[in-house]
Amino acid sequence: MRVVIAEDLALLREGLVALLRENEIEVVAQVEDGPGLLRAIAGHKPDLAIVDVRLPPTFSDEGLLAAIEARRRQPALGVLVLSQYVETAYASELIGKDTAGIGYLLKERVGDVRAFLDALHTVAAGGTVLDRQVVAELLAPRDGATGALSGLTAREREVLALMAEGRSNTAIAESLIVTPGAVEKHITSIFAKLELPACHDDHRRVLAVLAYLRVSK
Amino acid sequence: MSLSLAPGVKPRRWMPTLAAGLSIGEYARSLERRLALLTAVLLAAIWALSGQGYFWPAWVWLGLGDLVLLDFSASWAWRQPRGAVRRVACVWALVGAAAVILIFTWLLTWLLAGVHTFWPAWALLGLATSGSAYSLIALHDRVLVAHGRRALRARIDMLTRTRRQAVDAQAAELRRIERDLHDGAQARLVALTLQLGRAELRVRDQPEIRGLILDAQREAHHAIAELRDLARGIVPPLLADRGLVAAVESLAARYGLGTAIEVDTRRWLAPAIESAAYFVIAEALTNTAKHARAQRSWILLRDEHRTLAVIVGDDGRGGADPSGSGLAGLRARVEALDGSLLVDSTDGSGTILEARLPCG
Repeated sequence: MRVVIAEDLALLREGLVALLRENEIEVVAQVEDGPGLLRAIAGHKPDLAIVDVRLPPTFSDEGLLAAIEARRRQPALGVLVLSQYVETAYASELIGKDTAGIGYLLKERVGDVRAFLDALHTVAAGGTVLDRQVVAELLAPRDGATGALSGLTAREREVLALMAEGRSNTAIAESLIVTPGAVEKHITSIFAKLELPACHDDHRRVLAVLAYLRVSK
Repeated sequence: MSLSLAPGVKPRRWMPTLAAGLSIGEYARSLERRLALLTAVLLAAIWALSGQGYFWPAWVWLGLGDLVLLDFSASWAWRQPRGAVRRVACVWALVGAAAVILIFTWLLTWLLAGVHTFWPAWALLGLATSGSAYSLIALHDRVLVAHGRRALRARIDMLTRTRRQAVDAQAAELRRIERDLHDGAQARLVALTLQLGRAELRVRDQPEIRGLILDAQREAHHAIAELRDLARGIVPPLLADRGLVAAVESLAARYGLGTAIEVDTRRWLAPAIESAAYFVIAEALTNTAKHARAQRSWILLRDEHRTLAVIVGDDGRGGADPSGSGLAGLRARVEALDGSLLVDSTDGSGTILEARLPCG
């Protein structure tokens, strides 16, 4: 896998590079700002870009805008956006109409190295990874239109949250300490209750769940 | 008020005529002057017919003149602006009239009775002195008050300006602190968890060390979360990145109250104003979500002259306590910007929060 890193804080950038290199991921370029990211992507054609939301010169959402632009120029590129806080609004913009190859995680998730590497591989392979805080906000109980969600059992809500984060069935089963068969059963039940068309492909499933959550917001 | 003559009374030429447009005072004064003039002429005629000699009508003239003079000076004084100036004018009108009467009387005594000493001198001196003393006291007071008012106004202007500068400086400083937290402590902690994660991978076979590393990582995560909450309390990231409207839309979406948002302002807002408006809306929405049981809620941001109006309402059950800690804190924040905060929350008819923030 070939990766470009856009991060302005040297300490973190070097840590990330070291982490990726010792796990046999090739870092083809390291840049510090949005225009640099676009140039690196044009030049190196990487599989994945890891982008910090706040980049110079504005230090606001420069990285997010650059990531969206990079995806527009190169739709096959996987983009993992890292941020020190999560905003549902940013997640929605990033996901756009197509969730293929998109990740949005809190920065500190890099500490859980194995999960972080999994996330990199998922996004590079065209999957979706959403931080559990974003998912929690999407799933937060509201007075409005999300009546169907309240029909889910507590366990089903847990499974739904993990699905929305982009986890595979096996990962969900591991995390909840149940059998993959039980996960399968919960998922079928969730899809029936939310009246979503059943599908077994992980990626398409995330798409359906996110579309549902966004529509019902 | 105007006078009209009784029907059938034919106006005389020497009377102030046809009444229209004359007030009672004007009419009376005009009548008085004409009567005085008539009397003076009549007496002079009587003196001339009665064999002349000692010119006694002069004394009657003096009396009549006194009346007219007093009337004239009093009405002049009365036309002066109210207050100290009019009081001083009244005193000088009296002093002047008295002085003229004295001097005239002396002239008559000199001409008719041959008195040579200028006997009114001391009286005139006394009048002038007391008039001057009175003026000095009355007007000095007035000058002092005017000076005091000017000084007070300048002081208020300066305090308003410097307070605003202090509030703006504080807002800028808070944003700088938030940025420093983000680029400094938070980033270092993230780098720390990354290093700990790498270390943890290397000691998979040593459970004791691994446990210690995981503990350390958990602590670092807590610290990061606390710093994030702190930074969010200072200035929510979306507000800092995208401004008030985006931040408010996200806020409203998070509460999921189906809040209608109307924005009618394109004004650039100072950070202090933006933050205050944001926190007013956040507090209002929190209250609506927690207590109001509302069907509808709405947010209105509007330009009103040089003021940003922030109005947040719901149709819930009302009864919010304006002196509660949340609203009191907001009021302090808004008033520090010379703004105002109104809470209208009658039982059963919803709650409306109106903040007006002067900006420019």
